[in-house]
Amino acid sequence: MITLGSQGKNTFLEAVNLKSGANVLECYQCGKCVSTCPVSQYMDFPPREIMQMIKLGLKEECYMANSHWFCLTCSACSGRCPREIDIPAVMEAVRHLAIEENHINDSKKVKEIRKFHEIFLDMIKRYGRNYELRMMAEFNIRTRNLFKDMHLAPKALLKGKIPLGVKPLKSAKAIKRMYEVAERLEKKK
Amino acid sequence: MARVGVFVCFCGANIADYVDVPQVVEEVKRIKEVKYAVEYKYMCSDPGQGMIRDAIVQHKLTSIVVAACSPRMHEKTFRKALSDAGMNPYLLEVANIREHSSWVHQKDKKAATDKAMDLCRMAVAKSIANEQLHEISVPVTKRALVIGGGIAGIQAALDIADARIPVVLVEKSPSIGGKMAQLDETFPTLDCSQCILTPKMVDVASHPYIELIPYAEVLELQGFVGNYKVKIKKKASYVNFKTCTGCGACWQKCPVKVPNEYNLGLDKRKAIYTPFPQAVPNKPVIDAEHCTMLTKGKCGICAKVCLPGAIDYQMQDEIIEREIGAVVVATGYDMWDPKPYEEYGVGRFKDIITSLEFERMVSANGPTNGVPVRPSDGKVPKNVVFIKCVGSRDEAKGIEYCSKICCMYTTKHTILLHHKVHDSHAYVFYMDIRAAGKGYEEFVKKAQVDTAATYLRGRVSKIYKKGDKLMVRGEDAQIGQVVEVEADLVVLATAVSAPKDNPELARLLGISYDKYGYMSEAHPKLRPVETAKAGIFLAGCTQAPKDIPETVSQASACAAKVCGLFAGDTMKKDPMVSTINNEYCSGCQNCVNVCPYGAIVTDEVPVGHGSKDLRTVAKINEGVCQGCGSCVAICRSMAINLAGFTDPQIINEIVSI
Ligand SMILES: Cc1cc2nc3c(=O)[nH]c(=O)nc-3n(C[C@H](O)[C@H](O)[C@H](O)COP(=O)(O)OP(=O)(O)OC[C@H]3O[C@@H](n4cnc5c(N)ncnc54)[C@H](O)[C@@H]3O)c2cc1C
Ligand code: SF4
Ligand code: SF4
Ligand code: SF4
Ligand code: SF4
Repeated sequence: MITLGSQGKNTFLEAVNLKSGANVLECYQCGKCVSTCPVSQYMDFPPREIMQMIKLGLKEECYMANSHWFCLTCSACSGRCPREIDIPAVMEAVRHLAIEENHINDSKKVKEIRKFHEIFLDMIKRYGRNYELRMMAEFNIRTRNLFKDMHLAPKALLKGKIPLGVKPLKSAKAIKRMYEVAERLEKKK
Repeated sequence: MARVGVFVCFCGANIADYVDVPQVVEEVKRIKEVKYAVEYKYMCSDPGQGMIRDAIVQHKLTSIVVAACSPRMHEKTFRKALSDAGMNPYLLEVANIREHSSWVHQKDKKAATDKAMDLCRMAVAKSIANEQLHEISVPVTKRALVIGGGIAGIQAALDIADARIPVVLVEKSPSIGGKMAQLDETFPTLDCSQCILTPKMVDVASHPYIELIPYAEVLELQGFVGNYKVKIKKKASYVNFKTCTGCGACWQKCPVKVPNEYNLGLDKRKAIYTPFPQAVPNKPVIDAEHCTMLTKGKCGICAKVCLPGAIDYQMQDEIIEREIGAVVVATGYDMWDPKPYEEYGVGRFKDIITSLEFERMVSANGPTNGVPVRPSDGKVPKNVVFIKCVGSRDEAKGIEYCSKICCMYTTKHTILLHHKVHDSHAYVFYMDIRAAGKGYEEFVKKAQVDTAATYLRGRVSKIYKKGDKLMVRGEDAQIGQVVEVEADLVVLATAVSAPKDNPELARLLGISYDKYGYMSEAHPKLRPVETAKAGIFLAGCTQAPKDIPETVSQASACAAKVCGLFAGDTMKKDPMVSTINNEYCSGCQNCVNVCPYGAIVTDEVPVGHGSKDLRTVAKINEGVCQGCGSCVAICRSMAINLAGFTDPQIINEIVSI
């Protein structure tokens, strides 16, 4: 059971709105996002419920949900939301706030997703772009699942979906510098 | 010899699917008086009517039978076709083979066809004895009665009076204004209720065509459309309105305090009082139940302080009569009493109030100077829970219907709370948000975003006390979890219910009311302002719950109906009325007693030709007679005949089958 009314101002709602630039109060719970979202069935709480939980100020429950980790930021939902709410921005805001406050869902799936994010960012830092083959390999090694999706490899290779090498972008250096600046700023906080 | 034309209608598939129409035509052709019989897809259509017109001329017909739908549907249409062909319209008979046969015998085509043939034979036989009849003209009294002085009655009275038709406006309470005078700001525009209402109230009082009779009730209505007579009881106010200047010295000095109805008992008024500062008329009345001078003969202070000497403790109720031609019923609504909601602690917990009480609290002229407070300790609440559909949509404890206005006024209340108490928070338990109206959905969205009110989808199951808080428990179906809200104040959006006096009023007016007590309209879609009784109309919540814009529209529609009724100096009336043959009348007066319309009186006629001695006979006022036939049936001397339903006509019908 949830008790409301004693917690005072809904600062969680304010933080999410500020960070996302959306206004969660505009959500009228129609559920169109839920039936649009390609991964809503894997989420603990589909996007509509996350919206309502933010409105109720259920911060912990929101942080601990896996929804914002599962969100692909594909923007399918926001493209169809009748109230034009930037739902992926809301998901991202929750993700950031959860990291900032270090309240993170520790299920195996979420851990994997977070590793995936890290490796991806690392690829960009190195090459200025993604290097699919290395990314797959690293992901499989770091999640200790060496043969994951291996059966797809021959076909993908043949069709040229996974180039064997990588040609770093010309601007790779500039991108690297962006990383360094961002990391410095992050440390200062 | 009679020459009858018969026209049998398919009514698309409505009749033709269940009745063998060609067989019916063949059958009637066998009757020797029938000189022409034909079938057609839609008799009521223009070509259908044309067939009737042409046949009348070509075949020199003397009466017409149309076998089709109920005469309530198209009798007028077909009568007009007869007149257009130069035939007396009352030579028409309608055989109702749709409602009386095809629709009710859909499983047995043969039986339905047989019955349709019987109905046609009867109609043909009756039509042979039909006589030419002519419409009756009755004079009209061009004055309207409006019962109830809420916004519905006010609007109807003003619109009728602006057409220079005199209006008598009867209001039960000491002032007009109704519930709207108790509201603060109004959805969806948030304009101040008093500011838009008071000018109209003043217009009523000063309008040369309106006679305002406050503190009064209707006792009796007699007569018929265009010619009613109404008896009105003016309750004793014990104040002479002609001399009273409205100075207020009396109520300031009166020592007796009683709960103030205008503020729903949230504060007190005196035994002599004007209900609210903007009241119209702005004259006090003495509440006879509580004035100690009137109950025990002790006090008399108000008479002493009243300079113009307007107080009159001897005043009596007065009965007055007015002649009127039409009535607008606008008696509004009551608030449903939430007592059955024991699980909410209604009556036990002081900090549960109704929406109208909340409305009074946030009103600038209210008992708490415009700020909501907790009745228990007078503190300004921070967390306020609003519960919608209390009593509405609840077959177990309340009423089945949706009260229509509470979704919107609760939205308004979240805004008013936000305006009056800046650091407050509103929680709304709801089942749906019904916001169908111009600008309504937009209003709800704006309120939800601006006030950040928390909407929880579910009915509250229980309220209990914890310290000085009220714990309100319900489900939030949106996340499928039970929630409890710690509330300082709970506001119940209680259902709108029919005025409890409506059934009695309906009986004395001779109109009908529904199972809830709302006055019934003649047709839910096409005649929403008329009642089934000619000349009586409905405006506002007395017919069903509705908001102000809808109430005002209906009131103006009533005015248009009244003006239409009064457009000529006389009214036309069907000639189907009874007449008495004095030679047969024995003067027993059974008919006088049986007539539901009071159309029969007694008369004195000479006993014989040229005789000076008189005897009593009955006499029918054809203007009042509605042609019900009760008198015909009761008269043992067979002295009464009802035009259009004469003995030869009825006997012909019976003999024909
Ligand atoms: C809490 C609340 C808030 C609301 N807020 C809004 C809003 O913001 N906007 C909006 O559009 N609507 C609002 N409404 C609805 C509004 O009150 C009604 O639509 C409106 O008052 C209906 O007017 P009426 O004249 O039909 O009835 P009433 O206002 O009830 O008037 C009926 C009148 O008839 C008199 N009467 C009754 N019986 C008799 C009798 N037998 N003989 C003589 N007189 C009689 C009564 O004394 C009264 O003066 C609100 C309602 C409530 C309860
Ligand atoms: S589609 Fe938009 S409005 Fe509808 S539930 Fe999702 S976020 Fe809310
Ligand atoms: S942006 Fe996220 S929440 Fe929206 S549809 Fe894509 S995955 Fe689902
Ligand atoms: S006579 Fe009655 S109304 Fe007048 S002051 Fe006394 S108690 Fe009040
Ligand atoms: S208007 Fe709204 S609150 Fe009122 S009964 Fe209907 S659904 Fe319930």
